[in-house]
Amino acid sequence: MRKSVSGLVWVLVFLVIAPAFAHHSPAAFDRTKRVTIEGTVKEFRWQNPHTWIEVNVPDEKGGTVLWGVELTSPTYLIRAGWKSNTIKAGDKVTVVVNPVRTGEPAGIFVSLTLADGRVLTERPARLGTPESK
Amino acid sequence: MIRPAVRPLAASLVFVAGALAGAGSAWAQEPAPERRLSALAPVNLAEARPAAPFNLTGNWFIDNRGNQGWLFNRTYPTLTPAAQVHFDAFQAAAAEGKVYRDDIGQCWPPGVPIIMTRVWPVAMIQLPTAVYMISGFMNSLRTVFLDGRSHTDPDLVVRTFNGESIGHWEGDTLVVDTRNFIDSEHRWVDQGVPGSGELRIIERIRMIDDGQALEIAYTMTDPVNWVGEWTGTRRWNRVDDIDIEEVECLPDLNDHLQSMSSKVHVR
Repeated sequence: MRKSVSGLVWVLVFLVIAPAFAHHSPAAFDRTKRVTIEGTVKEFRWQNPHTWIEVNVPDEKGGTVLWGVELTSPTYLIRAGWKSNTIKAGDKVTVVVNPVRTGEPAGIFVSLTLADGRVLTERPARLGTPESK
Repeated sequence: MIRPAVRPLAASLVFVAGALAGAGSAWAQEPAPERRLSALAPVNLAEARPAAPFNLTGNWFIDNRGNQGWLFNRTYPTLTPAAQVHFDAFQAAAAEGKVYRDDIGQCWPPGVPIIMTRVWPVAMIQLPTAVYMISGFMNSLRTVFLDGRSHTDPDLVVRTFNGESIGHWEGDTLVVDTRNFIDSEHRWVDQGVPGSGELRIIERIRMIDDGQALEIAYTMTDPVNWVGEWTGTRRWNRVDDIDIEEVECLPDLNDHLQSMSSKVHVR
């Protein structure tokens, strides 16, 4: 595990996970890496086709960097226990993402840990199969 | 009586009036084409027809298990030089970890066949005269007409991303012939493979597994972009615990999906 410059962004390397073709191509993200960010929720939008979270992550200069986290549709989040009010602006969160390949502060969602320790993930888009139950 | 001084002016006025009358007849519209009955017209719905072999009303989701995953077909036809340029660019971008021409991500319609393989189900409603398909993505509408009509006159058709679909029954198979696709630089059949206005898709749809799945055998031709037929068969599973919702590609969607404005994209 390698600590990045900010101290609050950790990078791990993982195996490739098969991408899902949603609103946009998932090839923008490096599925072999995971980045963990710790910060404060700026906004959480519960919507189709993508739910998203914007997180203010403290940087080394005393300021913040706005990270964009892309999630799947509420259709699938609900199946993983999410609600539209699961998180809100001002919440402290730790989010794991597969980062965008070109280094901008953006990534696709892997998991989220709330301040109370609960961990939230997504369910795979496998409707009509046993995995989706 | 017209005074001599006024005669040239009057003659001019007469000439102009005559010219306008002649021009008006030249501008007269051709008779409007005969309108065909809507698939939802009661008279059309009530017409006696053989019972359909099956009813595919329901929600259907692409079976993305196995090595096909989300792609339409991993076996590509021989591409034309024009299409090969795009495919090579797609592969080059992928080799650099970049994304080539993600037009769907910019809210361009996916079109058929890609619209059938998105991360949301397709709701299908079958009537004797048509099958209405509404995708969970962008609520894209596709209508397969079953009432015996022909494809629209090429001089009248409005070309679209989903094309114009006419279906008929052959035994236990619904055969759908889709043509009249839009000719757009934003129109793709698969990653790096464009689709032109010459694209034509034949789908042979069967209901299998005791009504729990649809098997669709595709035969696609597009002489602008590849040689011969591009075939493949995919499966869609029935989904009974979901309903299609409103899914719009809003103008500000990508403002909050930072990856869409990143340098990873090759436009």
